[in-house]
Amino acid sequence: MNTFLNNFPILAIMILFVGAFVTSLVGRRSALARNGVVLVSMTAALAMMLALVKPVLLDGQIITYWLGNWEPVEGWAFGICLEVDALSLFFGLIVTVAVFVSGVYSFTYMNHDDSLVNYYTLFLMLSGSVLGLVLSGDLFNIFVMVEIMTFTAVALTAFRNTYEGALEGALKYLVVGSLGSTSLLVGIAMLYSQLHTLNLAQISALIPGQGANPVIIAAFAFLFMGFATKAFLFPFQPLAADAHAVAPASISLMISGVLTKCGVYGIIRLCYVLYENLNQPLVQYLVTGFGAVSMFICVTMAFNQHNFKRLLAFHSISQVGYVITAVGLGSALGVSAGLYHAMNHTIFKGLLFLTAGAVQHQTGSLDLDSLGGLSKRMPRTTLLFLIGAASISGLPPFNGFASKWMIYQAAFQRGAATGNFFFLFVCIVALITSVLTLASFIKVAQSVFFGQLPEQYKEVKEVPLAMRIPMWILAVLCIVTGLFPTQVQNYLLLPATSAAFNAANYIDQAMGLGYAAAHGIATGGVAGLMVSDCWNPTSWLMLLFCITCAVAIVALLASPNDLKDAHISSCDEQAEVLDAKYESFFSGEESVYSQVGGSDLFWGFKHNWRKYFSYMHDWHSGIVNDYTLYGVVAIAFVLLACIILL
Amino acid sequence: MMAVNYIGSFALIALGLYCMVAKHNLIKVIIGMGLVDYGTNLLIVSVGFNPGGTAPIFTIAELTRESFFVDPVPQALTLTSIVIGACMTAMSLSLVIKLREQYGTLDTRKIRRLNG
Repeated sequence: MNTFLNNFPILAIMILFVGAFVTSLVGRRSALARNGVVLVSMTAALAMMLALVKPVLLDGQIITYWLGNWEPVEGWAFGICLEVDALSLFFGLIVTVAVFVSGVYSFTYMNHDDSLVNYYTLFLMLSGSVLGLVLSGDLFNIFVMVEIMTFTAVALTAFRNTYEGALEGALKYLVVGSLGSTSLLVGIAMLYSQLHTLNLAQISALIPGQGANPVIIAAFAFLFMGFATKAFLFPFQPLAADAHAVAPASISLMISGVLTKCGVYGIIRLCYVLYENLNQPLVQYLVTGFGAVSMFICVTMAFNQHNFKRLLAFHSISQVGYVITAVGLGSALGVSAGLYHAMNHTIFKGLLFLTAGAVQHQTGSLDLDSLGGLSKRMPRTTLLFLIGAASISGLPPFNGFASKWMIYQAAFQRGAATGNFFFLFVCIVALITSVLTLASFIKVAQSVFFGQLPEQYKEVKEVPLAMRIPMWILAVLCIVTGLFPTQVQNYLLLPATSAAFNAANYIDQAMGLGYAAAHGIATGGVAGLMVSDCWNPTSWLMLLFCITCAVAIVALLASPNDLKDAHISSCDEQAEVLDAKYESFFSGEESVYSQVGGSDLFWGFKHNWRKYFSYMHDWHSGIVNDYTLYGVVAIAFVLLACIILL
Repeated sequence: MMAVNYIGSFALIALGLYCMVAKHNLIKVIIGMGLVDYGTNLLIVSVGFNPGGTAPIFTIAELTRESFFVDPVPQALTLTSIVIGACMTAMSLSLVIKLREQYGTLDTRKIRRLNG
């Protein structure tokens, strides 16, 4: 084994933290030196992660590094270790690429703000903590990194503290996020009380010997909810929405592309490597259920939004819901579909947040009701936005299609194999969510980039090249990962999925060969993925057939009389509605620039579902006590479910 | 003996959560966060306690198989956790000061411009 490469994980983390301190030392003197330090640390971290690709992803090695050379003695790991297997490196690559893009974008995007030294210091600390989290092999280290991550993210959310609501969003994030941190810490304390170790590999080896120990099961519930908070799963999605809407766009990219991935990584590590309990139906229902509920509720919430980035935030959690749903299926195909979608989510959601940032940078507004017609003034940004929107909606040939296709297959395969209606239902929910996502992005495209150009935006210019380059990097990645799904599967997803299923190897590499076998953990692994290719003509033919059938059924069922009745009744209801918002679709005379009600394009859908929408609107009350209550109830629910049923 | 510690720590956590859910004054909400932290710290430090053990301070020469001491790892964890808790309180209080300047109130029911 190459000993020099063994130092790369710790060096990559250290260089980001050291960069943070150097930035605050030299940054006050010169902006150039500050940007140089930031660029060098980001590039070095990215290069080190890329250098690990060959040994870890292609040759299947696991790199362990014991800090201070405190290696395990007599089968007990006292030292702190970094352990990089294919799963960690997969997330490490996502993190470093996203950090690089976000940092390069910030150089131009943040130039209107002052005290940028603080911004870059916090930014590099955030990057370092997230990288430390995914590469760490020690449970308490993960907790410390989660805390650094939360603090820096809160501080960066409130960075533009004169911006309406910035402080409020940051405070809510801190207060309700602290529930997640506490939950993690209580889980760690419980595990330690039973196993007397904090090393992930050793915990993983010792848990099966504990049998049905209720403390171990309660620890699972607490750790799961801790990571779920960090991934902003339902019922924590209001935090994400508040934080995204007020944070700078480059930080929105970090929160949605990187912080939520830490939660996803934690859940995969917890369920597959530590507890290896995703073969139990109850855990599958729990994880998949959380994913499916987040997926559906967030996409419907996005319909109600009038702020560009708040809308994107709800979509972000909806897509994380897809990832968790796929991960919870417990099959190799499910995990690789989830990992694929996690990667794609970082790419396309990052692209969308950066285009939103570009619009904000040039117009100073994120309000969907007042924007419009920007495609005439910002054609290149519009093109980039459309690429991102097509990807997130799952349109071929972009990457969102490839990963969603795999998720549908995984859910359907799981349902067909077990004959369980639940998984088929989840598959249908995933399909409906995808349609709603597309509808929602048509609304955004219509109200921001098309339609009429308001008077005050006549002089808007295209964003500078320095901001377009990061967006183009992401857009090209969107297309490349969508066009070559087979290569992505073979070189990225398969090694990471095998690592998730091969806890024995993870244990042996850290604790010494034979340690896993001594504790009765069998070697696992995944040979290949039974997945039908996205570009398989047969499946396309079947899709075409299904769509034709659906259209035919709708056409046959809706006779002309029904259509007339429906029109009349909708007109009647139209008259009953007092809210002028619903009328702009027809009249458009309330204001000159109503642009066919661009931001209310789907008023009919919203009107028919008005009870649901008004309920959900009240549910997201904005009061921090309510959000805390939802979190406490969710934690209590999971705890009780795990203890009673497991 | 130890059961008292565990009951106490979960009672502290429950009190803190009650405070965070029921109190509408932001300062009280932050006091609740602090209580949850203290409860967790008490839980961790109790986990490592061995009745009758000595303090875990030895030189290599003194350390034998027969040495009986309390587990030092949870104490280190508790120290870290206390530091993190202090940072959290400081940070949230500084945010509250700024919020008070902007909104002119500490009532959580009035600080809800981001909703829906």
